[in-house]
Amino acid sequence: MIAKIALRGLGHEYVNPFTRERVVALDGLELDVAAGEFVTVVGPSGCGKTTLLGILAGLVAPTRGSVLVDGRPVTGPGRDRGVVFQEFAILPWRTVEKNIAHGLEIQGVPRAERAATVRRFVDLIGLQGFEKKYPHELSGGMRQRVAVARTLAANPEVMLMDEPFAAVDAQTRITLQEELNAIAQATGKTILFVTHNVEEAVFLGDRCCIVSRRPGRVKALVPVAIPRAQRTWTLFTSDPAFSAIKDHVLRLVREEVGVEEGDR
Amino acid sequence: MTRPRELVGTWLVVLGGGAAVWAAAAALLPLPDYYLPPPTAVLAAFVELVAKGILPAYVGESLRRILLAAVFGLVVGVPIGVLLGMSRRVADFFYPILNFFQSVSGVAWLPLMLVWFGFGERTILIAVNYTVLFPVIFNALLGVRSVPPLYVNALRTLGAGRWRIVTDVVLPGALPSIATGLRLGLAYGWRALIAAEMLVGAHGLGFMIFNAQNFHLTARIMLGMAIIGALWLLLDYFFLRPIEEATIARWGLVQR
Repeated sequence: MIAKIALRGLGHEYVNPFTRERVVALDGLELDVAAGEFVTVVGPSGCGKTTLLGILAGLVAPTRGSVLVDGRPVTGPGRDRGVVFQEFAILPWRTVEKNIAHGLEIQGVPRAERAATVRRFVDLIGLQGFEKKYPHELSGGMRQRVAVARTLAANPEVMLMDEPFAAVDAQTRITLQEELNAIAQATGKTILFVTHNVEEAVFLGDRCCIVSRRPGRVKALVPVAIPRAQRTWTLFTSDPAFSAIKDHVLRLVREEVGVEEGDR
Repeated sequence: MTRPRELVGTWLVVLGGGAAVWAAAAALLPLPDYYLPPPTAVLAAFVELVAKGILPAYVGESLRRILLAAVFGLVVGVPIGVLLGMSRRVADFFYPILNFFQSVSGVAWLPLMLVWFGFGERTILIAVNYTVLFPVIFNALLGVRSVPPLYVNALRTLGAGRWRIVTDVVLPGALPSIATGLRLGLAYGWRALIAAEMLVGAHGLGFMIFNAQNFHLTARIMLGMAIIGALWLLLDYFFLRPIEEATIARWGLVQR
């Protein structure tokens, strides 16, 4: 069986424009993601996680190695791979419904069909009554819900998420994670989710991919064998199996952070 | 923001107070009438010039010229600025050039333009359109450069092509800056227009106040000045602000 996403010997180097230093962000990263799988990528700050996502999205060209989606090399951005960005990337001059419909509009989907899809996703993210609002009238959590809905509405085969909940408050983050969990279960999308938050990585992932500090490569792959339907924050904080995985992943990540943290 | 309606009362009091002080000064100070005419003389000049049809004609002339320049800036300046802003290298090259010409206002060009284009309508129009054009191009370019790459990337991952990115991201993203450019350009253009009308002397408000000086019609000068300011307020309030209200204020891109 061909993996949905295959990263082969992925390496990326660039020159930091400010310090003029050569940075090796990724070095020989290998990873296979199966169709319908939810893989979280966790690692210390600056380990090249965001670069990895940019490469997968086709926004950054890797300097070495290749990215295959359905066995075909990625050469640029495409609507088969939807991205939810860390920063608020929905357009301030479009209303909630216009933002959600944007991908469909680009695809040339007829108006009536667009409206039906928008309604479905507005319901899914619980933003009924906010359809005509502009992003600046929404809270941070609502804006990221719209961003997730915009990506989902375009119906990509793969969803790439770059710390999408990092900028919202802790309470909202938990809600959004539970919602994403439900969405993953309902849609069966292949999801690659980048985060520096170990709890988030374990709570959401079918597998956690721990990336070493720079230059980033895969340090370990930790399966999280807990059915999606059972994943709630109540269980997450009480279930010993969950806690054991979390501690294990945390230990692996801390080994990478260790030196850096000690220096601070 | 305080609503203008709430401010009107305060303004009327301040204006009335100012007029009273002015009237008292004109009556009490030992100055000739042409030096400081009373407010009533300015009002009388207003009534007289409206009755003779001179004021409406001159106002119409000046407004026609500035609105022509506004359309020119919008139709010619905005597309040029947007195009130049699309490429970072092109934008970097043109930035100092545009900045230079923006600062050499149409007024500074007038002596040369009089030599080249003569004392006529042509010189006025060229000076005003030139003055409007550069801030419009400059700010449209800046606006395009200031669109967050994040929005462009987000749209590319949704499958958008070049043209789609221009219409859905670049133009709306540059709009606040484009609006600023139009506002600045027209404000500079309005000044240049008055100056050009003074020198060229082909009708218009600038001609009216400059010519009045030859005949010691000081009240007429003051009236002309007041009308120049008042017309700008109207232009801004009924033409430029509604555009901003309908777009960038609604999108939360400016704080009011």
